Amino acid sequence: MAKRPLEGIRVADFSWFGAGPIAGNTLSTYGAEVVRVESETKVDALRRVHPFAMNEDGSFKGGYNVSGYFNNFNAGKLSLQLNLNTEKGQEIGYRLIEKCDIFLTNFTPRVIDKWNLHYHQIAKVNPRIIAAYAPMQGMEGPHRDYLGFGAVLTPVTGISEMSGFPNRPPFGVGTNYPDYVINPGHTVTAMMAALRYRNRTGKGQCIELPQVESVVNTLGTAVIEHLANGSNPTRTGNRNPNAAPHGAFRCADDPDSIGSLDRWVVIACRDDAEWQRAAAALGHPEGATDPKFVTLAARKQNEDELESLINSWTKDRKAEEACAALQAAGVPAGVVQNSQDLLDRDEHMRSRGYYQYVEHPEAGREAHDGPAFVLSETPGYIAAPAPLMGEHTMDVCERIIGLNMDEIADLLAEGVLL
Amino acid sequence: MTEQALAGVRVVELADELGSYCGRLLADLGAEVIKVEPPGGGRQRNSAPFLAGHEGNPDASLAFWVHNTSKQSVVLDLETEEGRTAARKLALSADILIEDNPVGFLATRGLGYQDLHAAKPSLVYTSITGFGQTGPHAGWAYSDIVGQAMGGIMTLAGEPVDPPNMIYGHQADISASIQAAQGALMALLHAEATGNGQLVDVSAQEAISMSQETAMQTWDFQKKNRVRAGAQGGIPIAIPGSGTLKTKDGYILLYIIAPAGGDLPDLIDWMREEGKAADLDDEPYASLISQLNMGWLTQLMGNPEDAMKYIPLLPHVNEVIATFFADKTSREAYEVGQERRLLIGIVSTPKDLAENTQLRARDWFVQFPEAPAGKPVEFPGPPYRLSESPAIISRPPRLGEHTAAVLGALT
Repeated sequence: MAKRPLEGIRVADFSWFGAGPIAGNTLSTYGAEVVRVESETKVDALRRVHPFAMNEDGSFKGGYNVSGYFNNFNAGKLSLQLNLNTEKGQEIGYRLIEKCDIFLTNFTPRVIDKWNLHYHQIAKVNPRIIAAYAPMQGMEGPHRDYLGFGAVLTPVTGISEMSGFPNRPPFGVGTNYPDYVINPGHTVTAMMAALRYRNRTGKGQCIELPQVESVVNTLGTAVIEHLANGSNPTRTGNRNPNAAPHGAFRCADDPDSIGSLDRWVVIACRDDAEWQRAAAALGHPEGATDPKFVTLAARKQNEDELESLINSWTKDRKAEEACAALQAAGVPAGVVQNSQDLLDRDEHMRSRGYYQYVEHPEAGREAHDGPAFVLSETPGYIAAPAPLMGEHTMDVCERIIGLNMDEIADLLAEGVLL
Repeated sequence: MTEQALAGVRVVELADELGSYCGRLLADLGAEVIKVEPPGGGRQRNSAPFLAGHEGNPDASLAFWVHNTSKQSVVLDLETEEGRTAARKLALSADILIEDNPVGFLATRGLGYQDLHAAKPSLVYTSITGFGQTGPHAGWAYSDIVGQAMGGIMTLAGEPVDPPNMIYGHQADISASIQAAQGALMALLHAEATGNGQLVDVSAQEAISMSQETAMQTWDFQKKNRVRAGAQGGIPIAIPGSGTLKTKDGYILLYIIAPAGGDLPDLIDWMREEGKAADLDDEPYASLISQLNMGWLTQLMGNPEDAMKYIPLLPHVNEVIATFFADKTSREAYEVGQERRLLIGIVSTPKDLAENTQLRARDWFVQFPEAPAGKPVEFPGPPYRLSESPAIISRPPRLGEHTAAVLGALT
């Protein structure tokens, strides 16, 4: 196989939950050697939550190694199990960092204090290190020690206020949304820039990525509406000021969609031509010439009525069939897909091979999110499943850190290694 | 002067809404990003909201501003031979090209990957589209909500009785742009090391699909679809110390029963200090509150007899807590609560974000001395701080502001 672009880069991944490990996952997919440092005193909670792999009799598998949530974010990494609450454990941590190009963490500053992992501390042992810190609020500032994770980040950053229907309270978007693409994607972007800087100057550096700042940066339009115009915009459901119709429309139920029978087609008409084509594709060309809907301004003014009308056109049709008719007419449209669709029924996703399957020694065959950008000449891939807890402690200590067997045995006996 | 991380990198951007945030990330990190725009500007330049009093002015779209900081703007008409020739020359002067046009659009204008790669093998050609360059849907029409629907996140958001919800802020576009930025920079490192460029192919559908959280693996392992569960997250009863509550001026999210930080009795301490614990210190509530956390609730669900005893008490506890917060501003509930180690989040409005204590203390916002449309305006700051080679945000360009200078310098 072609050489991957990050081969030769080694990463000390002191992160947990979603945002940190996903950044490490991307680096691993593109060829970096990523050592996930796991501490018995701070076990990654994702190792212990659903969805768990199942046994043939329908019961759930147990233990630290069978959560699909954890496994998906940690493919191809090595697991070193280290007690960072001990001085010797911290010393082993430093010796690992000495051998690495990149350091990654999303622990809170309090934990970084306790484990002595601040940049000025680790740069002493490795001045070329690129050290990325991604705590919720930042390493400094009056809110630095605030509690929080994805569930709280969503409201604090404004996503909850700005999403959903205006007649509902701002209860969020059903997931810890910013953890999965925004925070880890920004982290890797900054790391790649810092690697280039190091290539040119020989200098490492510290990257600070406060998760709040990372997310609010992507909601810039709403924030600048206040900063520039003094207004305070709020959620408008599925509508968009520059398009109408713009939303999800009810289609016929699908009994084959397991536990998720209701089906919806989304439609976005950004100009009158798209609207005319949409109405015709749904069998109602007369809808486009109705004076109430003929221009974008008219459609915005009569949007409730417009949406009821379209619902009446779509409600008995199969979502896939309505979507195909609209797409054939060049109208932006899509089915509100669930995971069954994405993994099993979406012929396009399957043909591109986005999901990659690996055999995990305890969980069995499991699907992984593949790389979400495809490099034509140096493609990334899932080279190995997620590590079992502590699976590579010996390997990392011996091969990377350079400890001998006696030293390792002593550290195991002292409870520094686990 | 500090050298930025992407100093000396030239990026030519033939992109609109879908790819402009990718160009912005590279531009703030120090790349010279030249945005090629059609006469009159593209969709984003002509998108609401606008600076008040400048509605319809392509130099005053707020949506354009925040996605196009630190760039230069060149206007070229790709429907003319002259425009195409200039665009090709410009593209071949670049280290990275970013484009988000329908598949095949640039190829038919002499600007496709094969063409440009043959002429300049080190070029990193970054294509960002709704569905990627290959596969049966490669030619599909795309807009942000289509990516959110097809990528599997809308089905997880909203009340079950409502239509599925999209997430604000063109998040499929943003996700695609963030994935593309990572890919373009990885490919740039490879090109700088080997001289070999390549195609970076990003599908917005794929780009956002990891945000399904556990839904993908739930289907993979358990053949169950995760569906949207609304305000209560699928739990039939409201649990004290959790959920979205109304305040005097907005909303907060409580997650006190989660394992982090203080527990419910710590909230009651706060309420008692302000004389608002009502009868929650009396039985039967006191002993309920002393044990109420996630672990206890899980056990309770497995024991119908205890559940019948305790569940009827919950609405009153919820009501006393709701009354306590109804009297506070969201910011007070958030900041005082967090100082007391209670897991409370403010549901920030854009105004709250602009006034956020932490963001202000960290000097996060940036202001331009010479701002677009002549009026100084504050912009949201960068997503990250690099100690040696910082991201520096400068103002977005006016339409065609750099056409003469950039084309004049091309040989």
